[in-house]
Amino acid sequence: MRAGYLWLASFAILPLVGAPFLGHRAFRGFGILCRTVLAGGVGMVLLSATMTVWALAGWRWGPVLVLASAAVAFALRGLVRSHLPLPARRGEGRGEGRSLTGIALTVTAISVLAALAATIAARSTSPDLLLFWGPKAQQFASAGTIDTAFLSAPHLEYLHVYYPPLVTNVFAFGAIAAGRFPWGAATLTFPLLLAATAAGLAGILRADAPAPRAAAASALVICALGLAGIASSVAGNAEPFLLFFEILGVALLLTPAARSDAGKLLAGLFLAGAAAAKVEGLPFVLAVVVLFLLLDRSAARPLARSALLLLAPTIVSIGAWLAFGATRRVFFGYKGYGHSLEFHWDHLSAVVSAIGIALWRVGYALPFAVPILVLLATRPKDRRVFLPLGVAAALSVFLVLTYLQSTQDPRLWISWSAARTFSPVTALVALASFCGREEPR
Amino acid sequence: MRKPLLLSLAGSAILAGFSVAALPFSRGLFRVPRTPYDANEASFLAPAWILLQRAAEIVPRDVSVVVRGEPPDATNDSYLHRFAVALLPGRKIVPAAVWNVASAPETLREADYEVVVGGKALAPPGSRLVLSIPEGSVWKRER
Repeated sequence: MRAGYLWLASFAILPLVGAPFLGHRAFRGFGILCRTVLAGGVGMVLLSATMTVWALAGWRWGPVLVLASAAVAFALRGLVRSHLPLPARRGEGRGEGRSLTGIALTVTAISVLAALAATIAARSTSPDLLLFWGPKAQQFASAGTIDTAFLSAPHLEYLHVYYPPLVTNVFAFGAIAAGRFPWGAATLTFPLLLAATAAGLAGILRADAPAPRAAAASALVICALGLAGIASSVAGNAEPFLLFFEILGVALLLTPAARSDAGKLLAGLFLAGAAAAKVEGLPFVLAVVVLFLLLDRSAARPLARSALLLLAPTIVSIGAWLAFGATRRVFFGYKGYGHSLEFHWDHLSAVVSAIGIALWRVGYALPFAVPILVLLATRPKDRRVFLPLGVAAALSVFLVLTYLQSTQDPRLWISWSAARTFSPVTALVALASFCGREEPR
Repeated sequence: MRKPLLLSLAGSAILAGFSVAALPFSRGLFRVPRTPYDANEASFLAPAWILLQRAAEIVPRDVSVVVRGEPPDATNDSYLHRFAVALLPGRKIVPAAVWNVASAPETLREADYEVVVGGKALAPPGSRLVLSIPEGSVWKRER
């Protein structure tokens, strides 16, 4: 139990690591709770990237990592000179507005508490925690670095050695602090990150909308992810991390924060977190950046600078990881599930029906159907809606093509993975419903 | 115009309601689970988890261990090898099967300890019993 508490307490260091960057005055409009969450996300990205660079250099991990990561956060803050301060947060509204905000916060809290209860009751633990996330983190903590000998040991190919390092690094960091890897505490990252996503998302959206609208949009995203996560057993795996970074990264680009260098770099850091959390985070990042540059020309100018701010953290983070794999001859790039650009189109109907069945098994597909229905009924007219919807479409195509690469019948694979891999799609659709609605006063 | 906002809230409330309904009330929500997989679709992992956690207390570090199921099954044994890598850190895990193909019997005999999940295991030749619980048994090879 003590190790579990210590492991969880180690997460308190993450906002401290990211605080120097989030202390920039450009972010004051986000509010203290949201800024703490965003600092935690930045801290996670910087700490993980520093751990990877440390391993690449052949140095053992130690407490100095924290100082080095915080120093990077300071340096990034210094890099951002020009900024466009966020507009002051609008008032809570009166009467009905407050009631609507209260209802939104209540259903959000119910969803987060349900995720917590499901995790504690051992309802939602991911088998992947036991199969590879946990063993790798445990071994890395014990070795004090990314253990090449372990990753290249015979019979351990199932560990997916090339999977990006953020989750195992963060898990290992806590395990070093706790003295061992606490399996039960690791599952609590699901409700913890769901709560952090809720707080961060509501705070970011409030920079562009009154409290009721921001809270309602955030509630829809969190309630969809809560049910999907409980039913598809994501506690202890990388999905909560991936969704935390993806949703907050895209949300930043939907608000006035996207017009400032500081906001773009912050979004870029969150996109780097997504890319470093799971393999499918990388195509997600590319889709977000391309669509943002194409769709929001006024915010994206100058294009080269915006692209750099959005992509540089991902390039550094994933570049360090791929360099580690190549220099240690453990892996060379990401591994596909078949030959690249070879798709088994004869599997298409099986893939589509298997995805449908997999989504149906998650709360009768409600986490996926409800946001779509709300979006259709809302009919947002703002151009910004095309960013989350475009990314959702691109990600869906990527996932279907990935399943079509399998030389074997992919239905079993889809049955245990599709509900998780399509979670970002439903979250993006829910987020799209935020764009371009009239505001209640 | 509050319709979009009310729609979001109604949708959220439905999803939150289904989240609560998905909780394992019938198993006793406030009963402390024995393993992280007790109320899960992967609850078949629970016996192996319990046995390997107990084995971790008595199997020394730096020894070799083979983990297998009873009755023998190459698919099951492939997964038990992976669980052992996770739950018996610091030991050399000898696979009883890899990718659903059983290992040669002489490979298994090299292991210092044998952990048998489930069933009533026959004593492995030249071994003595060091732990027996309903989830399985642990044997030490006498050299």
